[in-house]
Amino acid sequence: MTEQTQSYLFLAVLLGVAVAFPLVMLGLARLWATVYSPAKPGPAKAAPYECGLESTGDAWVQLRSGYYLYAIVFLIFDVEALFLLPFAVAFTSLPVGAFVAILVFLLLLVEGLVWAWQKGVLEWN
Amino acid sequence: MNDLVLMGLEGAVLVTGLAVLLLDLWITPDQRRLLGFGAIATLGVIFCASFAYLPDGTQYAFGGMYALDEFALYFKRFFLIAGMFVLLLSVGTSHAEEGGQGEYLSLSLFALAGMMFCASAANLALLFVSLELVTVTFYVLVGFQRRRLASLEAAIKYLIIGALSSAFLVYGIALIYGATGTLDFRQLASLPAAVMESRILWLGALFLFVGLGFKMAAVPFQIWAPDVYQGAPPSTTAFLAVGSKAAGFVLLLRVLHQTLPVLETRWLHLLMGVAGLSIAYGVLCAIPQRSLKRLLGYSSIANAGYLLIGVATLSAAGATAALYYLAGYLYTVLAAFIVIAVVLQHTGRDDFDSLAGLHQRSPLLAAGLTFAMVSLAGIPPLAGFFGKFLVLKAALAAGAEHPGFYWLLGIAVVGVVISLYYYFGVVRAVYWGTPGEQPAGPIRVEWPLQVALYLAMVAILWLGVMPNQITNLAELAVKSLGLR
Repeated sequence: MTEQTQSYLFLAVLLGVAVAFPLVMLGLARLWATVYSPAKPGPAKAAPYECGLESTGDAWVQLRSGYYLYAIVFLIFDVEALFLLPFAVAFTSLPVGAFVAILVFLLLLVEGLVWAWQKGVLEWN
Repeated sequence: MNDLVLMGLEGAVLVTGLAVLLLDLWITPDQRRLLGFGAIATLGVIFCASFAYLPDGTQYAFGGMYALDEFALYFKRFFLIAGMFVLLLSVGTSHAEEGGQGEYLSLSLFALAGMMFCASAANLALLFVSLELVTVTFYVLVGFQRRRLASLEAAIKYLIIGALSSAFLVYGIALIYGATGTLDFRQLASLPAAVMESRILWLGALFLFVGLGFKMAAVPFQIWAPDVYQGAPPSTTAFLAVGSKAAGFVLLLRVLHQTLPVLETRWLHLLMGVAGLSIAYGVLCAIPQRSLKRLLGYSSIANAGYLLIGVATLSAAGATAALYYLAGYLYTVLAAFIVIAVVLQHTGRDDFDSLAGLHQRSPLLAAGLTFAMVSLAGIPPLAGFFGKFLVLKAALAAGAEHPGFYWLLGIAVVGVVISLYYYFGVVRAVYWGTPGEQPAGPIRVEWPLQVALYLAMVAILWLGVMPNQITNLAELAVKSLGLR
């Protein structure tokens, strides 16, 4: 057996252990449950737990999708920070061209924000 | 600074798009049309400025990322003309558009900038980014009428298949990089022959072809075309049919001849097969169509096939023919979609029945649609005829070296004959169709659309009667690509 195949054998053993370990654990837990705590469902036990309160209404309520706009606007600032941080760190050693480039980049993002603002995206109603 | 000057045309288009987006926020609805005309006029100025560029050979900018030569300039002018017509079309039908008119204009301008970047891409990274700029804006443009179910359906289909093809494209680029260690077109072209034999490189190039094939709507990557063409707003469909297809071809030609010339022989059969299948599929599936937009969707697949014949000949004559063909196709498709846009606005439908009696309701629209259909069918003396003639002539010449081209020629000729049936079906519906219970009042065409339609008709005729001027430009472009 060459060294190369041996290193693959190690991977195979690792894979086997990785699969067997959780299976054994889950099996043991299952065995424990069937022996010591067999299922005895009742109306009170099957009810959803809501911090001790009586549960009311349907769980399938619709949430506002308006939040997606905030996620998109957040991206403007998020991406900005990503580039601004290295820019700020290296600021003193950068040529004028780099400063202009980052300024153009910032202006593009600001335009996105201005557009969203004027379109009323930031107003909640 | 020199880099920015070389990239000036794209830069100007981008700035126009950004300016339109901002200006739109502070103007009244009445001024929206003026904004559109302003954008069109700016594009006109940029088009004229493109003639100030006189590249001596190929000039590179941004570390070889961006190339400017006659070939790139030919396509940039092509895209600019397409952009002007599309903006005119969208301004003319503006009250039918929901959403913002300003956003529609600026998104179209961004897509236009992406196409122009495609024409100059000299690096696989720029190739991918510019194609994505085109595709991502088109996702929005296709679904722009967001209260129309058909528009949304088309957008979803385009999004899913477009994302799939982008995945192929970027995977292919990764494989090419893995095999060669470079993304630069010039470095790829000068690789030693041993590297060129790498199977990984072939696979990468094949995936690249899949990505470009999606843009061109060539079989077997055509499945999205009819549905998207039918659902999208007419101005978007026109842009998609002309711009997206040409963007695929400009990149294919550059990759094939300038970047990886080794593919020329490897891809010969692939290109021939795809061309033949595209023609056969497009022509046969167009026969039963009753919707005009769907019909043009299948026709666009067939036209991708004719264009690919020109590319597959691997000769300067073939590439010149393809470039001329694209120019003729541009005006033809634009004329057709201007008519469709107006008919859609008045009847809400685009099937053959809604065309009945069109020659009485609006002789101009009837004439425009007839011009477009006759040109698409390839009847002299219009542009479509001369384009097909040049492509078939190039294929005939290539047949001397490779007999397979005679088969392709046969498929192409049979395709032309079959296409006569459905193109003239449209003409028949316009002039001899029996109108149903529809109100048969005259259709008033707004003046921007009238101007656009007249211009397109004159261009179709002019290209067909005097093809020399365009073929000379195309020859110059092809020469700069290094084709003999």
